[in-house]
Amino acid sequence: MNNTDLNNIINRVYSLPTELAPFREMLLANAVMISEIPAPTFMEQKRISFLGQRFNECGLTNCCTDEVGNALAFLPGKNNHQTILLTAHADTPFGAGQDHSCTVDGGTIHGPGVADNSLGLAVLATLPTLLDRLDIRFQSKLLFLSSIRSLNQGDQCGIRFFLANSREPVKAAIAIEGIPLGRLHYRSMASLGGMISCHIDRKVNHRSAIEILNRIINQLDKISLPAESHTDLILGTITGGASYKIPARQAQLQFQLRSDDDRVVKDVTARINSMLEKIGRELGVSAQLKDLAHTRSGGLRSSHPFVIQTRRIMTALGIQPQKSIYSPIITGYVEQGIPAVGLGLTYGDNIHYPDEYIEIEPILIGVAQLIGTLMALDGGLCDQH
Amino acid sequence: MTNIDGWLQSNTFHHEQFKDLRHMIKEKEKQNLTISLCIPTLNEEKTIGKEVILFKSELQDRHPLLDEIAVIDSGSTDRTLEIAASFGADVYRSAHILPELGTKRGKGENLWKAIFQLRGDIIVYVDADIKNIHPRFVYGIVAPLIYQPKIKYVKAFYDRPMALSGKIRPSGGGRVTEILVRPLLSLFFPELAAIIQPLSGEYAVRREVLERIPFPIGYGVETSHLIDVYYEYGMEAFAQTDLDKRIHRHQETRDLGKMAFSILRTFFKRLKDKEIVADLPELTANLRQFQAQEDRYEQIIHEIYEEERPPMLKIDAYRKKLNLPT
Repeated sequence: MNNTDLNNIINRVYSLPTELAPFREMLLANAVMISEIPAPTFMEQKRISFLGQRFNECGLTNCCTDEVGNALAFLPGKNNHQTILLTAHADTPFGAGQDHSCTVDGGTIHGPGVADNSLGLAVLATLPTLLDRLDIRFQSKLLFLSSIRSLNQGDQCGIRFFLANSREPVKAAIAIEGIPLGRLHYRSMASLGGMISCHIDRKVNHRSAIEILNRIINQLDKISLPAESHTDLILGTITGGASYKIPARQAQLQFQLRSDDDRVVKDVTARINSMLEKIGRELGVSAQLKDLAHTRSGGLRSSHPFVIQTRRIMTALGIQPQKSIYSPIITGYVEQGIPAVGLGLTYGDNIHYPDEYIEIEPILIGVAQLIGTLMALDGGLCDQH
Repeated sequence: MTNIDGWLQSNTFHHEQFKDLRHMIKEKEKQNLTISLCIPTLNEEKTIGKEVILFKSELQDRHPLLDEIAVIDSGSTDRTLEIAASFGADVYRSAHILPELGTKRGKGENLWKAIFQLRGDIIVYVDADIKNIHPRFVYGIVAPLIYQPKIKYVKAFYDRPMALSGKIRPSGGGRVTEILVRPLLSLFFPELAAIIQPLSGEYAVRREVLERIPFPIGYGVETSHLIDVYYEYGMEAFAQTDLDKRIHRHQETRDLGKMAFSILRTFFKRLKDKEIVADLPELTANLRQFQAQEDRYEQIIHEIYEEERPPMLKIDAYRKKLNLPT
């Protein structure tokens, strides 16, 4: 590790937010325009096509979509000795028919999906122009990729497909997310995103499926989870029934089980299946588990130079790295053995609700952090020897 | 009389035709044209930020179509001006422009003062309350002026989102347009009835036209423009561009009544001035509306004066600014 090189990068990074200021509106305009193109998971084509147009306009080469529909393009380096991958997922949990209008006041942008992940996509779409205007050139080739089918049942399908099938040897990757600034994810937890569906056959049973689901939830609560493996069971959404006056014929629960140990997820999943099997033996009751998404545990250690240098750059910019190091966005890279970190760009809140918002002011610090990390990667300061 | 069907075919465009901004800018530079955007405002803090960001980024920083972006404000008491300025717009209080001529309250006043304040050969007016703002709201209406020198005045029109069923798109205006303005135009200026949304607040106009026409300061400004430009230059000077969907504030019927009253006053004034209708009585400025108060009805009188600013060319300060003889 060369401290002089990193100090040079940090010195350069300090001035980046000021240097980036004249181009802020370009970035914000992209965030707004991207946000206003609906892109529910599995229906991202319009947004991807906008991204493709933007990649083309800012002079990237080989702009195309791959077999599943990810948009990708290259920014050639001075010697192209290695490829660094920058990704941002394109999909949102908001339906195409929902109002996607954004509002911009002095300090924030409000709009469905603006934090997750329109801002990330906007940075992907604007970064080539920003680098050009700031006269920043890399030795490495940069590969820009906007991935589809990431969230929920998308199960990171877009990025997984690209990484599993691409012939481009990727040296390292940065996954960009809108919020929060301070996000430094470099490990993936083992996880299962599951849906438990209960169904009542009215001909033989007049109870409500919600009652059955309630029992299941009580039993899930009693499953003991090993604390040492940071295992959590998160109950995410619940739906069911057709009317308040009729016993529900069906009910569903979506949950996520996550742990830093693959075996724990496997064991707990087996216990849930066994519990559902017992309940399903009751007359007229069926209860099943459907696998919506899954991830493997793994990733970089906190002593990896990629993590250390990124943390230093963040700290130099006054960004406090968050304690949480796990995210499912890292899982595709873990599966392919590619070093990767996930970074956030600004502060915001209400993610996945219609009043989702981002703060404008910290964005340029977030972009400076990204450029600094790219410089460190490009200079070989993040290599593990 | 112009063949209306022919005019509709030749002078009606869709914004998609003008997507190639690079080509448009080359053409603009070849003609050495300057283009100013004027956004008239009054308490628009919820929408102004997005408009300025999008226009500045897409039509100045990325594609240099606009030479200036200006907000001309009627006296907002919210953060409209602060927000617009923070994203790079030039902001002006209408009252500070030509202060020696006093201040009148109304959108038309801002549009008129923009002719003095802004420097463009073309001025584009875009309302500030558009929820789904997009760069096409500007380039879609500027493009016909750049590509066709004979066109002088371009209006926007839109799909009305509430009426999108069936194969035939209704392509009409709002309530005031369809029950007041279009019938009036059909009666007195049938060619102008082909302007699909005569009241739309988005239009791009050559300075040489703007400086020669008077400006009612209120709701009558759009209607008066159409009649005055039509009289001076004929139907061939007009074009219109379909900008697809526009989402804006819904107005109460009572407010539309005030709008209709202003338009009627402006319209009748034109009929009288142009001697189309003789012997009109003096028109009142009082609009009477009625409301029920428990078991009785009461009258509300709104005084609505549709004052007009003279053609800018008649203003000494403007002539001086342009080095024209006063």
